[in-house]
Amino acid sequence: MNEAVRNPAAPILEIENLSISFFTRRGEIPAVMDFSCSVQPGEAMGIVGESGCGKSTVSLGIMRDLSNIGKIVGGSIKFKGKDMGELTPEELRSIRGNEIAMIYQEPMASLNPAMKVGQQLMEVPILHDKVSKEEAYKRALETVRAVRLPDPERMMRSYPHQLSGGQQQRIVIAMALLSKPALLLLDEPTTALDVTVEAGIVELVKGLGKEFGTSMIFVSHNLGLILETCDRITVMYSGEAVETGSVKDVFDRMRHPYTQGLFRSIPLPGADKNSRPLISIPGQLPLPHERPKGCNFGPRCQHFVEGLCNADEIPMIPVAGHDNHYSRCVRFNEIDWKAEPVNTRKNQEPIKPGAPMLQIDDLKKYYKVAANEIFGGGEGRVVKANETISFTARESETVAIVGESGCGKSTLAKVLLGLETASSGSIKLGNTEIQSTSIDLRDVKTVSSIQMVFQNPFDTLNPSHSVGSQIIRTLEKFGVGNTPADRRNRMLELLDLVKLPRAFETRMPRQLSGGQKQRIGVARAFAGNAKVVVADEPVSALDVSVQAAVTELLMDIQRQNKTTMLFISHDLSVVRYIADRVVVMYLGHIVEQGTTDQIFSPPYHPYTEALLSAIPIADTSVVKKHIVLEGDIPSAMNPPSGCPFQTRCRYKSQVPGGLCDIEVPPVRNLAGGHQVKCHLPQDVFDKMEPVISFAKDKDADPGHGAPGAGPGFVGTPPKRPRGKTASPEASAAGGSYEESEASSRLRREDRQEDRSETGERDLGETEGRQVGWGSQIDDVDAPSPFESTIDERAEDADKKKR
Amino acid sequence: MVEYVGPLSVIFGVLKQFWPVWVGLIVVLVPSFMYKKRLGLYGQLFDSGVGIAGVAICFFWLFSAIFAAQIAPFDPLGQFAIMKDSLPGAIEPASHKVFLFGGDKLARDVFSRMVFGSQIVLIIAPAATAFALMVGITLGLPAGYYGGRIDTFLSFLANLVLAFPVILLFYLLVTPGITETPIPYGMAGLFFLFPIIFFSTLFYTRFKNRPDRLYLLLGLTLVIGGWVYAGLVFNADPLGIVHIDPNQLNIFVAVVFASSPGVFRIVRGLVMDIKTRDYVAAAQTRGESPWYIMLWEILPNARGPLIVDACLRIGYTTILLGTLGYFGLGLAPESPDWGTAIKDASRLLRSFIHPALPPTFALMSFVLGLNLLADALREQSMKD
Repeated sequence: MNEAVRNPAAPILEIENLSISFFTRRGEIPAVMDFSCSVQPGEAMGIVGESGCGKSTVSLGIMRDLSNIGKIVGGSIKFKGKDMGELTPEELRSIRGNEIAMIYQEPMASLNPAMKVGQQLMEVPILHDKVSKEEAYKRALETVRAVRLPDPERMMRSYPHQLSGGQQQRIVIAMALLSKPALLLLDEPTTALDVTVEAGIVELVKGLGKEFGTSMIFVSHNLGLILETCDRITVMYSGEAVETGSVKDVFDRMRHPYTQGLFRSIPLPGADKNSRPLISIPGQLPLPHERPKGCNFGPRCQHFVEGLCNADEIPMIPVAGHDNHYSRCVRFNEIDWKAEPVNTRKNQEPIKPGAPMLQIDDLKKYYKVAANEIFGGGEGRVVKANETISFTARESETVAIVGESGCGKSTLAKVLLGLETASSGSIKLGNTEIQSTSIDLRDVKTVSSIQMVFQNPFDTLNPSHSVGSQIIRTLEKFGVGNTPADRRNRMLELLDLVKLPRAFETRMPRQLSGGQKQRIGVARAFAGNAKVVVADEPVSALDVSVQAAVTELLMDIQRQNKTTMLFISHDLSVVRYIADRVVVMYLGHIVEQGTTDQIFSPPYHPYTEALLSAIPIADTSVVKKHIVLEGDIPSAMNPPSGCPFQTRCRYKSQVPGGLCDIEVPPVRNLAGGHQVKCHLPQDVFDKMEPVISFAKDKDADPGHGAPGAGPGFVGTPPKRPRGKTASPEASAAGGSYEESEASSRLRREDRQEDRSETGERDLGETEGRQVGWGSQIDDVDAPSPFESTIDERAEDADKKKR
Repeated sequence: MVEYVGPLSVIFGVLKQFWPVWVGLIVVLVPSFMYKKRLGLYGQLFDSGVGIAGVAICFFWLFSAIFAAQIAPFDPLGQFAIMKDSLPGAIEPASHKVFLFGGDKLARDVFSRMVFGSQIVLIIAPAATAFALMVGITLGLPAGYYGGRIDTFLSFLANLVLAFPVILLFYLLVTPGITETPIPYGMAGLFFLFPIIFFSTLFYTRFKNRPDRLYLLLGLTLVIGGWVYAGLVFNADPLGIVHIDPNQLNIFVAVVFASSPGVFRIVRGLVMDIKTRDYVAAAQTRGESPWYIMLWEILPNARGPLIVDACLRIGYTTILLGTLGYFGLGLAPESPDWGTAIKDASRLLRSFIHPALPPTFALMSFVLGLNLLADALREQSMKD
């Protein structure tokens, strides 16, 4: 039993006015400024914010693991009353991994691949508690059981690579729990995992506080996850905490415009692409050397008042009537928090799907895996990546393809684009069959009419060629324009179309932010007037506020061009927002398809049901049914017999005669074109309840009623011993502090390139670097509600040309 | 008898003799340093001490080679009987010029030979490396990109060459029996084809749809390539400018042959990594030809490691040339190249050490400079 649980009154962790700076060769870069929070025993605190806001630096600062260039320059971190800043290296070592444990994003990087899991686990008690090997083994086994891993003895004997990602993360959590820490730091623990696996981990983490009395700090960019796991939340922006309070207060009665901006830019169940579009936050996170005077969020804030918001540095101001709720905004009493932002585009007409554009019928794609490369002997196995895929996409319709990794959605995209040819079945694009014509045999028209937007913005543009030349090359390839001058004009028009300044023509991709790169990717896909655009998770690697902007852009262009879009994603909240129809895939099969409403309301395929319940939704009024799938996705090399989902299905027992084990279920047509591949009898389907529902009593906000008069509060100025801006040289030299942050955890980043945090940090680095050339990224990443519409922009562009 | 000048005079004499180099270094390095922000990767070298040292040493030897005739006081092959084995600082009675580093056993000026030796090294080593790069890249790209049979076959060939003992290979290639056969010329003919193929493909894939640019560039490639090719392989340059000794051609071919498998492997590995990137998939989905993707999408992004490797490889080649010279392989016995000079001096090492030191030091410093340069380049490319 640890001391903290016995004495619940004293906070486990108290951070007061913490400031952390990174010192590079050319100067100091403040990464965290004036950060305060306290964590009570058994409490979970969430830290949320976009990339580069310093949230990971805070968690590393608590461990005092800031690499050699990071230093705590002000404030104090008190752990159980002891000041961490004054501890000797020996004392620190005895605390790290013992009383404070940390869990990182990438589980494989946290485990030693050369040691068996059991040995690694046993090290913890042997090192910290000096127990015997037998005792250590006993404790390790117990903990492995506690994190609900199947067959603990076998787990202890395995090497990390023999376990799946979810199992590895559970082992990492077990390792952290072994020493019964008083405080657990989780830095994006589920970002690298699939949604259904994530749901399992989240459930495990949630129970920790109750079971072990562990306090937690949960760092994430995902508001939904924070809602599910935490009691209190701190929102960070540009190195500062901007709002902190209980989860309920911050989610329902936020008192900082940035927090509100975040919530408006994520697709919550209420959002709708026609009537309630997402609203992104205009502008970009300021670099450390260009933080404005006063409110850091000022330049991006629609409530900004000259002379008030930028008069002085703003302290954390308590919100009257809320418990322990603080905001770093001087105007929160004057702002009408329920008001819709001005100029919001509203009530667009829903699109009318036209003629079928893409018809896929009974498509199969098998890969042969040869047993032996050189001598060609052996049997060779067959991987069935796609099995009997049939669906139709109409003109100007958005069809979402949903599924977790390994479900065959990327293979489908490859077959559509001609990078692979189908094993059997047919794909009709318009009236031509393209299933067996590979890309080099397709004519220019076919190639240009089916194009793709790629997932990873940092990979989608060739870093060696300028933005303009890459688009021009595409135009050349698609036979657009007759002369180089023609094509250049068309390229500039495309830049207008994706709302980037024409000056970007000569930029190199490294000078662009992630969102901007993704826009160029969109421009390239639409360069040849594509009829069908396959978008492979186009926004999943971007920051929340940028995500909204890119999503809206994609939909605007699609609407204009009447393009058919196949939107591949694992994120059902985005899908619900953007898609007209949804196709759910599992292990190469389409298990369910129908309109978005049909998919998101019962009856469900059991897999869809689990998937729906697994998505974290950042809305306190949502009540979800709780379904956690057992186990992991089976390998496509060795799929289960019968129904692909039978190994994890919770309804399996309700199918008579064990049919699930024997036979692949037939496609069943339910009402209105809704198709499900399942053996379940009709009465079970009829009895299904909705997974997501709204609580009836969505409470009226008591704090909202009358906006108070006058500025909220002017108290003592915040404690910033070193100021808050870095010199431009400093930012340019070391990259920005994100770079240092990144380098301190390089290994993890190397591995997981396509996930948001990593990518983002990458981006931070490029941004910082870019200052060296004296060029500034123009503030275009996010179209704001104040901005003119695409049509107006296009008109402007036309005028300019004349 | 021979008269001597003191050690200080020797040092100042050497510094004075190198004046064209100092001027050259100042002319190049000072502006480079001042405008380093605008000079891309080259400019970034000036951010670190290692980089500056590397660049300076490499330029030092480059200028030495260029201005050898101005720097060296004597003919590298000229013999002055009285100066046989004379110590550093000896004054040649006829011209009253100083043998700054003394004379060797054939009474030639060691200093002049060292300076002229740099010419041979600085022509053969970078050129051979360039050809090895061409061969390695042209074969490594398809091996990495296509994989499968092509890869298996080419990798097997590369392994075969790598597995063969290098020195033995050289012995074979430069023994008179083989030199007289058409084998070296055949191999030269094959290796020198690669640059022409490489550049033709490079331009063809890029400008296929733009005939105006394509014909110009292809024409230029073929004319220049054909001219050099005729001069090097058939020794039939119509203008009489491009010419190479049969001895040197042998060495050249041997060095290219030995180092291209290394380049091949590096390129193959890089391509296998880069071809998984989304921008390659994007190029594929807009219907680019495989060779366009290899040459214009993949190769530019492999340049960082390749540049570093090229620097190191010039160093290896320099050492290789030294080794060959030491074994008396290839180059003419009186050639002033550093390897041969070390060999000549080593026979009398017990009685006179001074003729051995300058070429050794020259070889060492040049390779050190290249290695420093490679290190600095690697540092900088890691930051990108």
